[in-house]
Amino acid sequence: MAIKRPFLAAVGLALWFPLATTFAADTDRAPEEILTDLIEETGSPYLSQSQQNLMMMADNPAYWTAEEGEELFYTPRGPNTVSLEGCDFGKGPGVLDGAYAEMPRYFADVNQVMHLEDRLVHCMTTLQGFSADDPAVKKRHGSGSDMMKLQTFIGSKSNGYPWNPPMEHPMEIALRDAGEVLFNRRAGPMDFSCATCHSEEGKRIRASVLPNVNNPKEWTKAISWPAFRVGHDNVRSTQHRVRGCYWQMRQGLSVPGSDAALAIISYWTDQARGEPAILPDMKR
Amino acid sequence: MKRVKRLTYLGVALASSTILVACAGEQKLTGKAAEYAQMTPEALAEHLIFAEGGIKLDEATQEGGTVLERQRQDEVQKICSGGGRAGLTAESTARLIEASRSSTVKPEGGVKLGDWKAGEAVARSGFGFRVGHRDDDHSSRDPGGNCYACHQMDPNEPTYGTLGPSLMNYGKIRGTSDAVLNYAYEVIYSPHTYFPCTHMPRFGANGVLTQTQIADVMAYLLDPESPVNQ
Repeated sequence: MAIKRPFLAAVGLALWFPLATTFAADTDRAPEEILTDLIEETGSPYLSQSQQNLMMMADNPAYWTAEEGEELFYTPRGPNTVSLEGCDFGKGPGVLDGAYAEMPRYFADVNQVMHLEDRLVHCMTTLQGFSADDPAVKKRHGSGSDMMKLQTFIGSKSNGYPWNPPMEHPMEIALRDAGEVLFNRRAGPMDFSCATCHSEEGKRIRASVLPNVNNPKEWTKAISWPAFRVGHDNVRSTQHRVRGCYWQMRQGLSVPGSDAALAIISYWTDQARGEPAILPDMKR
Repeated sequence: MKRVKRLTYLGVALASSTILVACAGEQKLTGKAAEYAQMTPEALAEHLIFAEGGIKLDEATQEGGTVLERQRQDEVQKICSGGGRAGLTAESTARLIEASRSSTVKPEGGVKLGDWKAGEAVARSGFGFRVGHRDDDHSSRDPGGNCYACHQMDPNEPTYGTLGPSLMNYGKIRGTSDAVLNYAYEVIYSPHTYFPCTHMPRFGANGVLTQTQIADVMAYLLDPESPVNQ
């Protein structure tokens, strides 16, 4: 025991120093611990609005969804009977730790910026050979869908990692900047934009406290999808949130996988840069 | 010594500029990446909605026409999209107020209070105008004003939003003079006349509420009998 401790300390230091030069990843903290730390640090009424959800997070039903996703990920599937281990989510084929926290990103193989759902569709249709109409690919919503299971598993592998989407390729920058314009773009019979509800702290719609896009410590929870939505009794995706916001704004249907949705997601992920992802999250 | 240092700096500078050139050479943009990178953020945002299928534009809307028209911005929306109130200049504020004022249509025979009970129903209802999935069917019931999403009104209603100011005791504080009635009507009809680039919708100018519904909401705010003023 007396020998072990200094040894562990040395290993700890050696591991810590290279990390500290970039972002310190808090990957051994449970989602509810990460959230609790943020609440203590900020006192944010948005982060702390549901004590009940915070208590339930240790038993988040999304963990089951993630487990089912893990099995799907490593099972040889599709007409080509291969697993998704050959899929590159940005950090090399099959490398999942922290990969989602660095999306959206530019993928040279398709000359396109992609988010998790886009990349999954790409790998399932090319690598595994599924047709785009196959329910495995086409069904995007609900805890029972392959797409949500896979997204929840892969997303959870970024728990505690700081959001750090690359902003080097001109297409990444162009989409982020257009996303900021879209976020502030008023339209429709209500004159709403995303900024109507998400540009101040502590404001409410009815009883729900809203997150501020300009406060990264609040915004990280806002964008931490997949999350189990208690009111929906389902795990929901980033694309589902974008669609829901456009619906509530009384604007037209935001098309999942479109570059407009991608631009919004690029901007909003950039706004949480450096703060730890809470995955899977649980929301009202 | 100084000279050696300078030469070293020069060498480093040359080497790094060579690397930069090499990288730029590798990053020859093609296809959509090239197209997007040369557009301004504003132009690209419009392009993504109207040319790249970002929003389902061909769906019919409750107000008539399609989502295409709904996504197009009018002058008020355009002026207030660039940073909201913070993005306003003296010139754009003047244009905004003029656009708001000139779009306001008063009821024939003057502004009068309606029925506060009907107004309460309008204030509580968030029904209307949703498209894309689970579309709101306006033939089943009238759209609401959803005032409680953003405002406190009846002191006995605990679930009120705070994006807008509290309207509790609105009439008790202000009374029901013609000036107050006309002001309240104009604010609900097109609030930018008084609050440039407010987050509040133009309930009259955008055809969300009818003149009768606006009169009812005004009664809910101003009638001494209304729970808002108890």
